[in-house]
Parts: sequence; C-alpha cells; structure tokens
Amino acid sequence: MQQHKTCVAMLLAGGQGSRLGILTRHVAKPAVPYGGKYRIIDFPLSNCANSGIDTVGVLTQYKPMELNSYIGSGAPWDLDISTGGVFVLPPYSKGEEGEWYKGTANAIYQNLAFIEQFNPKYVLILSGDHIYKCDYAEMLAHHIKHEAALTVAVRQVPWEDASRFGLMNTDEDGRIIEFEEKPKNPKSNNASMGVYVFTWEKLRDYLTSDERDPKSQNDFGKNIIPTMLNAGERLVAWNFNGYWKDVGTIESLWDANMDLLSPTPPINLHDRKWRIYARNVGEPPHFASPKGVIQNSLVTEGCEVYGKVVHSVLSADVKVAEGAVVEDAVIMPHAKIGKNAVIRRAIIAENAEIGEGAVIGEETGDIAVVGSNTIVAPGYVLKAGEQLGE
Amino acid sequence: MKQNIVGLIYTGERVDELQELTRYRNTAALPMVGRYRLIDFTLANMIHSGIKNIGIIMQKNYHSLMDHLGSGREWNLHGKRSGLTILPPFMSRENVGVYDGLLDALHNNMNFMRRSVERNIVVTDSNVLYQVDFRDMMNHHLDNKADITLLYTKDRNVRRNARGRYLQVEKDQVTKLEIDPTIPHFENTYVGAFIIRRELLIDLVDRAVASGQHHSSREMIAQMVSERIYRIGAFECPGRVWMIDSVESYYQCNMDFLNDKLRAQAFRDDKPVWTKLRDEMPARYMGDSLVTNTLVADGCLIEGTVENSILFRGVVVKPGAVIRNSIIMQDAVISRNAEVENCILDKQTTLREDVRLIAPRSYPLVVPKNLTI
Repeated sequence: MQQHKTCVAMLLAGGQGSRLGILTRHVAKPAVPYGGKYRIIDFPLSNCANSGIDTVGVLTQYKPMELNSYIGSGAPWDLDISTGGVFVLPPYSKGEEGEWYKGTANAIYQNLAFIEQFNPKYVLILSGDHIYKCDYAEMLAHHIKHEAALTVAVRQVPWEDASRFGLMNTDEDGRIIEFEEKPKNPKSNNASMGVYVFTWEKLRDYLTSDERDPKSQNDFGKNIIPTMLNAGERLVAWNFNGYWKDVGTIESLWDANMDLLSPTPPINLHDRKWRIYARNVGEPPHFASPKGVIQNSLVTEGCEVYGKVVHSVLSADVKVAEGAVVEDAVIMPHAKIGKNAVIRRAIIAENAEIGEGAVIGEETGDIAVVGSNTIVAPGYVLKAGEQLGE
Repeated sequence: MKQNIVGLIYTGERVDELQELTRYRNTAALPMVGRYRLIDFTLANMIHSGIKNIGIIMQKNYHSLMDHLGSGREWNLHGKRSGLTILPPFMSRENVGVYDGLLDALHNNMNFMRRSVERNIVVTDSNVLYQVDFRDMMNHHLDNKADITLLYTKDRNVRRNARGRYLQVEKDQVTKLEIDPTIPHFENTYVGAFIIRRELLIDLVDRAVASGQHHSSREMIAQMVSERIYRIGAFECPGRVWMIDSVESYYQCNMDFLNDKLRAQAFRDDKPVWTKLRDEMPARYMGDSLVTNTLVADGCLIEGTVENSILFRGVVVKPGAVIRNSIIMQDAVISRNAEVENCILDKQTTLREDVRLIAPRSYPLVVPKNLTI
C-alpha cells in the first residue's frame, strides 16, 4: 500500500553537545533532563504531537542508548501508531559504503529511503537542542501559502547578539534574499532556528546533488540553503515569537531551568492545550516532610524533602535529607542529597549521591556540576564552576 | 516470569458509608494518595506477582473506572498474550444486570473463567488496600495442599463491629468462620482475596447456583468451612491492611500515607504502582508557600499554607489560603484567604475567597464533585 503523508518530521538528535561538559559524557544532548520531568527531546516530540505530525524519524549517532530506551515505542507522545509513529534512525552500513552521519544534510540524505516510504509532500527538519513550544502546523501552512521550496523558522534576536547567528535577510514579503552565517556587520536580526520545512522533491534533489560535491560539508546552513538561494529557489522566512532557549551550555541549561521559577514563567508548561509529554516514571506524589522547607521551587513526583529547598528544580525521585540546603540548583532524577550537604548554583546530574556535609557550588560565580552516577564523599567541597564525575 | 494464575477483581461492593465519594464512582475508582485510584494497588499486587491476565467485574457507576483503565496500556496490560478484560454487567434471562454479590457475579462471568488457560485463579474484592505477592500465597497454597486459600490479616485496623468475616486459623487451615459478628471472636480478618484452582471454582459456582440457595460468596465459603470436605488454607497478608468502607476509613488510609514507613511499604522502587497519566508539569511552590507533612502530586500550584494534607494533581492553593488535615482532589481550587480543615474536597471543587470550611477531626466533611462554595 502506498502511503501519502502530508508531512514527515526528521529530528536531528545525534549531536554530542560537548559544551554541556560532563552532562553529555554518557548521554546525547537531547536526552539531558530539563524542568523536573522532561528531557530536551520532549519539546520537539510534543510539538509534533500537538501539531498533528504523527510520523517522526529521530536521527541518532552519539551515545544513543539512553535516547533509544527513552523514546521506546513513542507511546508517551502518541507516536505508537501503525500508520506512522516514531522511528529511531542510527547510521547503518549500506553494502560497502556504510558511514557515520557527516553533517546535518548528510544525515537526512542517508535516510532518504526512510522518507520515501511515506511519500510525503513536505519534510520538517528539527533539532533536539532547544526548549520551545511551536505549532509546526502554522509554519507548514505558511510554507504552503507561499509556495516555497524551503521555509526557515526565524526569530528576532537583539541586534547586538545578531552576529552570533545565521541570519536570514528578507524582502518585504518575507522572501529570503540572502543568508549570512555569523556576519560581522549584520543586515538583519532574523536568526535561523534550525527548523526547516522543505517541499519533499526539492529536499531530495538538493540533498542528492550536494552529496555529489566532494567539497561540501553536507550542512543545511553552510551548503544547502546557499545553493538553493543561488539557484533562485523560493525561500521564505516564518517568524516565531515565542520562548526559545538554546540549552547548549551549562549556564544556559541552568538559566532555562531558573526561567521556570519566575512568578510568570516565560514558557507555560501548565498549558493544557499544549501539554509537553514525557515518559513517566511511575512515582508517588512528592512528600514535603514536617520539618522540610520548600520555597519558590518546582518539585516532581517521587521526591522526598526533609531539608530546605529554595529556588530550585527537583526532578523525579530526588531525596533531600535533613539539614541539607538546596538553593538555586537543578537536581536531576534519582539524585540523593545527604544530610547537611549544601548545594548552591549547581546542577546535580542523574543518580548522583552527595555525601553528608558536602558543599557543592557557591553563592556567586559559575555553575558547579556533579555528573551522573557520581558519588561525592562526605565533606567534599566543589567550588563554583567546577565539574566532578566520570 | 509468567505465572499460572489469572486474576479476577470484583468491583461491585456497595458501600453506602462512603457517602458522596461513591455517588458517581464505584469503590474501586476512589481517588487515593494524590494520584491513584484504589484499584491501582490491587492491579500492582497482581502485576508484580507475574499475573498477566486480569478480568475486572464491573457493576454500577463504572464510567470513571472504565475511563481510568482505558486499554490497560499504563499497566502494560495491552499485549496479545496478556491483558485486561473488562466485564461489564449485562442482561440475561436469569440476570437483570445487577449482581447479588460476588457469587452471582462469578456465575454471570463464567465465560471469562472458562476461557482462561491458567490453572489457578485469584479472586479479589476491590475495597481493600494491601501489599501482597500472590506468588507467595500460591506457593503456600500448594505446600499446604489446600483446595482454596483465603488471605487474612491480624491488622486490628480492619476490624469492624457487626461487619466483616473473621477466621479461626489452626495450622494454616481455616477451621471456623464468623460472618458479621457483633463482636468478632477471632483475631484474623478475611481480606477479600482467595486463590483456587480455576476448574474447582467453576464447579463450586455451578453447584452453588444449581442448589439455588446461595447467592453470596460468604455463604459459599461458610458452607465450604462447615462441610469439611475441602481443605481451606489461610495465608497471612504481610504488613498493613486498609479496608475502605466508610468516609472515616477512607480519610485515615490516605492520611496514613504521610507516615514514612507505611509509604515505603506501598511504594517500593522495584514495585511501582501504575496509574493513568496526566502529563502535568511538576508542582510549583511560589510566593509565601508553606507546606509541611503533605503529599503533593504534579500539576499543583501552591502559594498558600498546607499542613498534614494530600493534594491531588492540579490543585491550586492561592495566597493566604490555609489547608489543614485535608484531602484535596484533582483540580480543586482554594481561593485567597479561604480555609479548609478536616475535609475531603472531591474533584473540581472550588472554595471561594475567605470561605472557611472547618469540620471536626472525628468526622471529616465530604464536599461533592464540581461544587463551588
């Protein structure tokens, strides 16, 4: 039976996210926990589900084990359907060729056959690096309305930051006339979000010809978009105005978590019309003990708080023992904070155990990080900006 | 590992003492401990005992239970070789759709028992909360060479005057049975679960119904005890047992989960209790929130004071609001400066600003679903 999908999404989830240091030493960046009960990849996957996109290929490469088991059948995002669903796509050997994904465009190129089987009209390219809520259906409607070959999602960044981004210079109609990668003197402040809608035939043709060019880096931003512009294809920009956070560094990941603690958070995760779905761990409600103190924090099911938690994010099944203080911190799932330990301006990764009286981070300065499964000795002191773990 | 046991849960208990709590739902669907329904604990017992096929006999007001269970996916009971079978009441020549107790319900669901392939069956009530490994009970049943084995507890918490079934147990054998005694003589209370060879149960139900006199399982078991034909084993349920048969016992059971030890009995890392998911964000503590000795589910927004209470998913506590010794169910809203003490607020109730709702400790007040005060 030949299928006809309007739109298939391809999610690039193979990046290491090396600027996250110890946090991505054992897991791919999209699998990094965020906001108490989510992982970064929950955002693009939930956006797909909420946008009515039911077929998603997830391209993995770096340390994919945790990501694979997290995605599983795709049931948490309603992506376990027989007419589509979620597919994890690692690099595979093809006869004598067989190779790793060389770049973003090459990763899609290597999976053209996967897309082909759904015979889609459009292909949505996503990355697993950002926290945002986005209705891809609106973007797709924009693409269709403007009869574009490629639509690039853009957001306006402050002019002083513009030179750090790939910028889309457009005419009055929103048609892209020039693409500049991190220019010294920016002509616009429309930064590409790395979210693209391609008309399928165009994507297939340009990826195939790009692959034949030995000099190409096989990258959407560096190669595909400039080539399409030069060929006179119709490229349009689609403006996105919502919250959008790159969580590519320790600082930005911590910041994005702290954003959730403001009285009116810039991203509403309590939106019942646009839920962010996550794989559930099946924990009981969290317990605020008789002597515990919790202020201005997010606390997830399974937590037990016997100490003091101020302005922090506690993920599922975190234990904070008596006398411990957790302030301005992000504690990832299953971490245990020992008696009288003090955690300030820090990220404690999954399953870490902080010994009694240990001091992690400082009131000011850079964020301290304890890596996953790390056991911190009682009384240990980890200074601001330091990282500890394997 | 797959066990040779099929599970059957009877949800037809009529418990008038639960007042408004069971007006629109059956006992099995009672919201428990912040995010569960009572049946989740029974299902967890079965699932963690390796039971893969479970039938649920529905009786009345079963809409919320059906909604809760869905396809059984959250319990991993949606496979080809495993699954949940919902057995709603139906009309037949002998049956008007209302079961007169467990035996009648079993009789009307013989097809489920006949169609099952497992050698043994465990049949449970749904108004009791406990933790047991039915594999241990099965092994005891076999070692004891029993025909039927009843689950019992010595927990005094479940004793009731003029109500309940009490067992005299000698050498792991039930030798006497008391039904609804004014004052129970035996220290062992039947917990409402038994294991039996499936074909023997079919035979017993057939014969009991054919004799035309027996419509309750109480009488069936009483007859078995008095006839002395069968060997009736007894297996003691470890740990705490809660019988949910009144507003007070419902309230106390929930409050008991504020105790670290009792909570640890029910929620073990290796034996999660599954339930229907709601994909709520974590609970948010804001402003001058002050929360002590309280269980809080995801999706809550707390800006007020909460003591010795249980907050279900999506509860909103506005600034200045005070909640003490109360159970607040899903999506209830406690407005500014409202105060609630010793109450059970059902789902989607709203307390308006400055409203004070204070019940005596000994008699928790139930506020029905969707009510605004």
